[in-house]
Amino acid sequence: MSGDVLIEVRGLRTYFPIRRGLLRTKVGDVKAVDGVSFHIRRGETLGLVGESGSGKTTVGRSLLRLQEPTAGAIFVDGVDFLALSGAKLRQTRRRLQMVFQDPYASLNPRMKVEDLIAEPLQIQGVLRRAAIRARVAELMDLVGLPAQARGRYAHEFSGGQRQRIGIARALALNPDLIVCDEAIASLDVSIQAQIVNLLEDLQQQLGLTYLFIAHDLSMVRHISDRIAVMYLGKIMELADRDAIHERPLHPYTQALISAIPVPDPDLEAAREHIVLEGDMPSPASPPPGCVFSTRCRFAQPRCSAEVPDWREVSPGHFAACHFA
Amino acid sequence: MTMLEIRDLAVSFATEGGTVRAVNGISYALKEGEVLGVVGESGSGKSVHALAVMQLLSPPAARVETGEIRFRGTDLLRLDDRAMRAVRGRQIGMIFQDPISSLNPVYTVGFQLCEVLRLHLGLSRRNATTCAAELLSLVGIPDARQRLASYPHELSGGMRQRVMIALAIACNPSLVIADEPTTALDVTIQAQIVALIKRLQRDMNLTVIWISHDLGVIAGLAQTVNVMYAGHIVERGPVRSIYKDPRHPYTVGLLGSLPRLDETVGGRLRSIPGRPPDMTQLPPGCPFAARCPQASERCGAGMPPVEDVGDGHSVRCWHWRDVVAARAA
Repeated sequence: MSGDVLIEVRGLRTYFPIRRGLLRTKVGDVKAVDGVSFHIRRGETLGLVGESGSGKTTVGRSLLRLQEPTAGAIFVDGVDFLALSGAKLRQTRRRLQMVFQDPYASLNPRMKVEDLIAEPLQIQGVLRRAAIRARVAELMDLVGLPAQARGRYAHEFSGGQRQRIGIARALALNPDLIVCDEAIASLDVSIQAQIVNLLEDLQQQLGLTYLFIAHDLSMVRHISDRIAVMYLGKIMELADRDAIHERPLHPYTQALISAIPVPDPDLEAAREHIVLEGDMPSPASPPPGCVFSTRCRFAQPRCSAEVPDWREVSPGHFAACHFA
Repeated sequence: MTMLEIRDLAVSFATEGGTVRAVNGISYALKEGEVLGVVGESGSGKSVHALAVMQLLSPPAARVETGEIRFRGTDLLRLDDRAMRAVRGRQIGMIFQDPISSLNPVYTVGFQLCEVLRLHLGLSRRNATTCAAELLSLVGIPDARQRLASYPHELSGGMRQRVMIALAIACNPSLVIADEPTTALDVTIQAQIVALIKRLQRDMNLTVIWISHDLGVIAGLAQTVNVMYAGHIVERGPVRSIYKDPRHPYTVGLLGSLPRLDETVGGRLRSIPGRPPDMTQLPPGCPFAARCPQASERCGAGMPPVEDVGDGHSVRCWHWRDVVAARAA
């Protein structure tokens, strides 16, 4: 499991300009991702959790350069990914794929299943027509789609089946890394479990590496080896999944875990719930100092003045809090 | 005292693809002050049954085929529009999933609250404004008086849902139906809303029907739980009994599909194979049979009757004893 480092991200920043007025002059930035660093080892699953607006999706999109980062560095197998262009970029991009949240919006309704799955193969132009047909059949089998479904259209499928099509597309070019961006969020509970099991089986068979982005910490904990917790564009804490759950160091992680309801009436009655006050501030004007300080129950004057360092509190357990 | 009693309710929709049998003969009773959780996946009929109670289904596409909905003894299905308007919003309040599409974007929050108070309670403009401000502070909105002048888009998702709750409780209703009220919210905001509704329920002695797909939220809130599948209540009972001793294979499957934060991680999730049936072509027997590990020939023949298994727990499954035996083994 813990192989060499496949992806290394250093000080990643992705800003979206805010423009106003007739001349569309830039008046500020939405700091969607504001200086995050992490690495993903080959064959592991890194979970990335956070609430809406935390920047977790932008991290995933920046990693694939679907959204160009503003600053920072991304290394894929030690190669500076942001410096690549042309054929080199295309070659590396092929190794990094994505499964999107909404299987209704991410599949072209005018294409048949076989064409949807063949599309990445055709674009990369590596296989001949007969070989593509064979590869499509192989991929459909791999993700558990019946072979006779190849001539049908996406709307004829349920959400779970559509997500299987999305996964087959992502697998087509034998990638190393798949970014799963809320890949199960729109599915019903019983179907979520099917897709998560499929993702785990595929990882075993193909040695895949995942960046699993989700808001549902219980599912992230199930699938991940390590977990990063994001809040307002920054990673608050990163550690092994058990450490995050059993010894959360950051007050935000603690609140997040306590807010997740457990499907057990006795435990629910007995647990302490930390209810955070207020809402997440806007990423266009994040608070000074620690971005969580406005909602933190332990906040001290220092917290709104000084940005906390990203520290390795114990081996492999990182947190950005003055008091962790 | 029984607040609401539903008997043999069936609702269908006429669509281009055929008749969707959304609710297929459900019956239950709700006591005053009780908190009922209704769980089920999309298409299980949980929301549709609530809309039927509120008489918010739009004919001619939607049709209540059979049944009675007795609210404090009166069958709501027999009331005319005018009489129903005196119940809806006044005696039964409803909180919807999506506050942004349920609030009118062109009116201020204060206007929308005052409208309800003036229509239902006949308050004067001034009294309504005072009362609206009190309601907003009751649901935990800071600077309530100033907030009356806000438009829905100026509020965050959590704040908008608080406004929806204020609207639902404005006329001091005896029953509140909450349809997935926290599904569109982040977990930390969900925790705020759950805590708020728990407090209001206690303080106002509200009777609540809480509809959700989230078994975690229901576990912390409900006293009684209805588990719905394909338009049937397949299992119903006290919350502890449902979670600790489920008798229906679907409930067992649903609980097994969830990864739990309080358990150590290991192994695969016990997912339910297959997917829910096409609601336009429901099988003659138990709709869960095609996905059920316990299914036998008998299950295809007809829907099993409601069987009482003791302590207010009932189930619609021929094989519930096998489910209990399988767990013991």
